[in-house]
Amino acid sequence: MRSQRVLSLIGILASAAMLATACGGDDNQLDSTDSGNQDKGAVVIGSAGFTEIQLMAEMYKLLLDKAGYTSSIKVVQNREVYEPALEKGDIDVVPDYAATMVEFLNIKANGEGAALKASNDKDETVAALNELGEPLGIKALDAAEAVDQNAFVATTEVAADKGSKLSDWDGESVVLAATEECPDRPFCQPGLEKTYGLTVTEVLPLGFGTAQVKEAVTSGKAQLGLTGTTDATLEDLGLVVVEDDKGLQLADNLVPVVGKDFADDTELAEALNALAGELTTEDLAGLNKKVDGERMKEADVAKEFLESKGLL
Amino acid sequence: MTTMSAFGDVIAWLTDPDNWKGPAGIPVRTWEHLVLSGVSLAVVCALALPLALWLGHIGKGGALAVNVTNIGRAVPVFAVLVLLAIGPLGLGVRATIAALILFGIPPVLTNAYVGMREVDRDTVEAARGMGMTGWQMLRRVEFPLALPLILTGIRLAAVQIIATATLGAFVLGGGLGRFINSGFGRQDQAELVGGAVLVAALALLVEGCFELLQRRLDPRQRVARLSERRV
Repeated sequence: MRSQRVLSLIGILASAAMLATACGGDDNQLDSTDSGNQDKGAVVIGSAGFTEIQLMAEMYKLLLDKAGYTSSIKVVQNREVYEPALEKGDIDVVPDYAATMVEFLNIKANGEGAALKASNDKDETVAALNELGEPLGIKALDAAEAVDQNAFVATTEVAADKGSKLSDWDGESVVLAATEECPDRPFCQPGLEKTYGLTVTEVLPLGFGTAQVKEAVTSGKAQLGLTGTTDATLEDLGLVVVEDDKGLQLADNLVPVVGKDFADDTELAEALNALAGELTTEDLAGLNKKVDGERMKEADVAKEFLESKGLL
Repeated sequence: MTTMSAFGDVIAWLTDPDNWKGPAGIPVRTWEHLVLSGVSLAVVCALALPLALWLGHIGKGGALAVNVTNIGRAVPVFAVLVLLAIGPLGLGVRATIAALILFGIPPVLTNAYVGMREVDRDTVEAARGMGMTGWQMLRRVEFPLALPLILTGIRLAAVQIIATATLGAFVLGGGLGRFINSGFGRQDQAELVGGAVLVAALALLVEGCFELLQRRLDPRQRVARLSERRV
């Protein structure tokens, strides 16, 4: 068990190093279009570069190439860079998290401290994204079932004892392994206390989904730990996500955000929307694991998944 | 934020009386930091010095020992720390100290060994000619003459350990790194830089103390001081 954990950590470190080198650029994508279809134009897919988003970008690329576009992936580190590029048409499609993108645009339009426009509902959040995006020429397509949001994990034993849903934990006092900023963040400690009636006696500042957070929970130093819903290491460590049954977390579902040049392209929308109904949170966690844990390439993992779903 | 106001924010953070109180205040964190560093350095000296002095005295095996401990330098401390913390030692002070020990051994061992080997051979031969035993030579001739380099090694290790003990904050080890991590997580620049300033100040202070100690204990300088007094 321990050695397995050490091995997977080594794997994660190694893949982080590989990812760093992969950021150098993916320029060899242009010559791989399907020969059968006529060319419908060059599409630049922006990717924030980390595993999950890179996987989504590779899936979008495969789907677009199949539909007759000539797509390429460009790594653009953060939203501050790629969002304006979407408006200008320098980048055409970006896989993003719905609620996070909504709030980015919300703050941009209405200033810091603006009332939340995102919610825990996927469709409402996508609608809000389109409302804020429309004046900018940005459009969101269908969001996938797959959602990457804060997840609170416990050991299977503790979850069996206290409950598999956070509402079962009402009145419990817990030590929480989470980020330094967790006590200040509405979707972390204050949310657990207000929405679910937990008392957080102490926050152990160990980060978001780090090996240390998981160690704190498995060793019993903390009863709950903060990670993401697409964390694929949980099962191996004997951890489970305690369900956010009251919808504390915002709908950070994965959604293709389309820039100016292709916002009204229905064929492009159709090609990418095919993925929305197929990709679940568990799927995405499994895909992440193949890249981070088994050191497979994002492009290969994306292809294998789309083929298994009959989308290629 | 302009540079001037950022600087002012750091001063304000460092001088805010609230930051000097309670279990997460600057005095407590500084104390934790000193304990982490002090215990690590003490263990480093206890392990590395006897070995280095003995190997230096017999003049064998030093290269091997130096190279083996240097492996410790090639592995990032952070990786060692996390492996120890999720492994046998658990999160907390023990894992932090263990990682700092592995990190502190190379400079102490290398400098002490080199110091012993670089003692003037003629002096050692003279001592042998006077009929000193091996132990007497080690204690009364080689060790005093090697002392400046031995202390340099300890000083290097001390400063490196103090700077690196900040990593303890990642595994519940406490110390001044907590301010840096907290400042980073909360995007509070003043706290982040304030924490870094405290670590730097502590490192410089310790460096200064060793400098003084080294001057007092260097046999050549002691001789120089004595002869000055006679004049």
